Amino acid sequence: MTVIAEGYNTFNTNKKPSGTVKYLASPQDVIKLIQGGKLKEHILLVRGGTTTFLAPALSMGAIGVITMSGAPESHLGILTREFQIPCVMTVNLNDSKSKYVPGETPDSHFQEIIQTLEGKKVTLDCSDHDKGRISA
Amino acid sequence: MAVTAKAGSEKSEWKKRYEPNDTGLRFQDLKYTGNFTDLEPVPDGILGDRMMKARMRSKVIEKVTKQDVLKGEFTVDELNDLNDYLAWNIWDVLVMRATEGVSGMIPRQEYEMLSFMQEFYRYPEFMRRITDEVGAQGVMDIGASARREIGTKVNCVHDWCLGAVAFAMGRCGLLALEVIKPDDYVEESNTILKFMQRVLWGKRQDGWILNSQDRYRCTIHEKDFLESLVTHCENFEPGSEKHDKFVAFNAAAELLAFFDHYDCRLGLGDTGPYQMPDGRILIVRDLFVNEDIYHWSDVCEGLPHCFTMLVLVDPELMGLKEIRVNDISTSFTIPKNYIEAITGGAVLVREQHDTPMGEVYAVGINDIAKHLEKIQQATFNMYKKTAKMSRHELCLNGIYSYYIEMILPHMRKAGMYDYFNKEHDFWEIDQRVANYYYEINKRNFAQATVPLKVFSGAGYLPFSKKADLRQSKYFWS
Repeated sequence: MTVIAEGYNTFNTNKKPSGTVKYLASPQDVIKLIQGGKLKEHILLVRGGTTTFLAPALSMGAIGVITMSGAPESHLGILTREFQIPCVMTVNLNDSKSKYVPGETPDSHFQEIIQTLEGKKVTLDCSDHDKGRISA
Repeated sequence: MAVTAKAGSEKSEWKKRYEPNDTGLRFQDLKYTGNFTDLEPVPDGILGDRMMKARMRSKVIEKVTKQDVLKGEFTVDELNDLNDYLAWNIWDVLVMRATEGVSGMIPRQEYEMLSFMQEFYRYPEFMRRITDEVGAQGVMDIGASARREIGTKVNCVHDWCLGAVAFAMGRCGLLALEVIKPDDYVEESNTILKFMQRVLWGKRQDGWILNSQDRYRCTIHEKDFLESLVTHCENFEPGSEKHDKFVAFNAAAELLAFFDHYDCRLGLGDTGPYQMPDGRILIVRDLFVNEDIYHWSDVCEGLPHCFTMLVLVDPELMGLKEIRVNDISTSFTIPKNYIEAITGGAVLVREQHDTPMGEVYAVGINDIAKHLEKIQQATFNMYKKTAKMSRHELCLNGIYSYYIEMILPHMRKAGMYDYFNKEHDFWEIDQRVANYYYEINKRNFAQATVPLKVFSGAGYLPFSKKADLRQSKYFWS
């Protein structure tokens, strides 16, 4: 297993969930995932850091979350801690020069992350106080 | 009985944070500049508070007396000190939020900006009339009501929003949009900040107004009242079935509380940390899962206004280094994960916002499943409902969730909510703000420009030496 991406860790935990990365682009994607009954097979990848977008997935037992923006002090950060769902926020790919900068990040940054991670079997390591790591 | 620390776990040192010379731990690497471009950058936390206090020109950020608070207005120096301190305080609690980006669900950056401006324009009128009606002491009494109540929205986040959002962020947004100048609305700014100071001082009664001034403590409940609450607590082992039920309920109720308030922290209210005789820490957490003033809360029908969680944390079990109950009512710890160190708690129910405290009742942890089911159903229904809304409707609802909500508890306590609806068009959107809806999407203004000014502290321009306390808006071309 190699660490392929890193981001902020929302809370320190020894849980190390594994699953196939599923990118959720719209609320309809979230509803479809819930209704498909395979929520627990996936690590969820989302663009934003706010919590309402993922509400039903959090409530119904998501096993792990990766976001492309946001931080542990956000609502999603707080909620994943309360639900004890490991979560890595504002993830950056280790072999890419593109890094997230608020308000200045081109769409290509997000597309690169989506293309690299979606469908990949990954494991989240959130045991560190600050950094969350994604291995594949 | 408290659970003892696991062998090998780090020793707690959280009480050191309250020693006079302690400067606290850093929760983030970033530093703050704001209006102090020629001075050393300021960090977060206890040290940041100390540095900011040292830079003030007046005594307004020191402990103040009741007589100070009853005075009719602030001087320009005091206004600028409050502006500078609030700007740092906002940065301290929200800067990491600047990285939040789009949610894919609710256009939060857009509605937040519009709400801030709407509040700055309209709150002074309401605050002045409330003060006319109940007097300065009456405003302080509104704050003081929180000392013997739970499930009340007269809490740190709502009270903080009166000044930090309506004045500081509202003015900052309008300055960034260049629709006001730094010396406009001095009189109205004074009205807002004086109202905020009175409510917060009345609530705390220790001379401070903000949690950050007191090493992030919000221990407002009176001793006998707190003791009566704690009798409802049940103890359990971490990892036990009861622990899991309690934690799952807390998380689900918190999620719905955020959602019902349009992804805003107004749904959550922590006070504490209270030190228990057995060594544990108590956090009192209000989760407002049904604010029926909002039409979208119809999905929450059957749920009470508020669940109050009494959360007992064993600091030794987690090797607690620092705990902050910040000014937006949220608890953060180092280490971050306090959930595994929860060793007891209770769930209390307040059916309506005005249910008398004597009618607040406890639900046993083994009996909360039926409430949890309702919460999960309401969350899913809220999601489906929200997903169908247009962007404009989401923005309007978001404005309501901030603008109506932040002052609603104070209007209710003053007995004036119906009056403001009937006589002062409380639910109407100011036409200027309605027009800004079409402006704020240009040049990435709402998504990047203003958030950076708000979160970095760069946009909180001071009042100039020429500012006149009587100055309101003047001609602007």
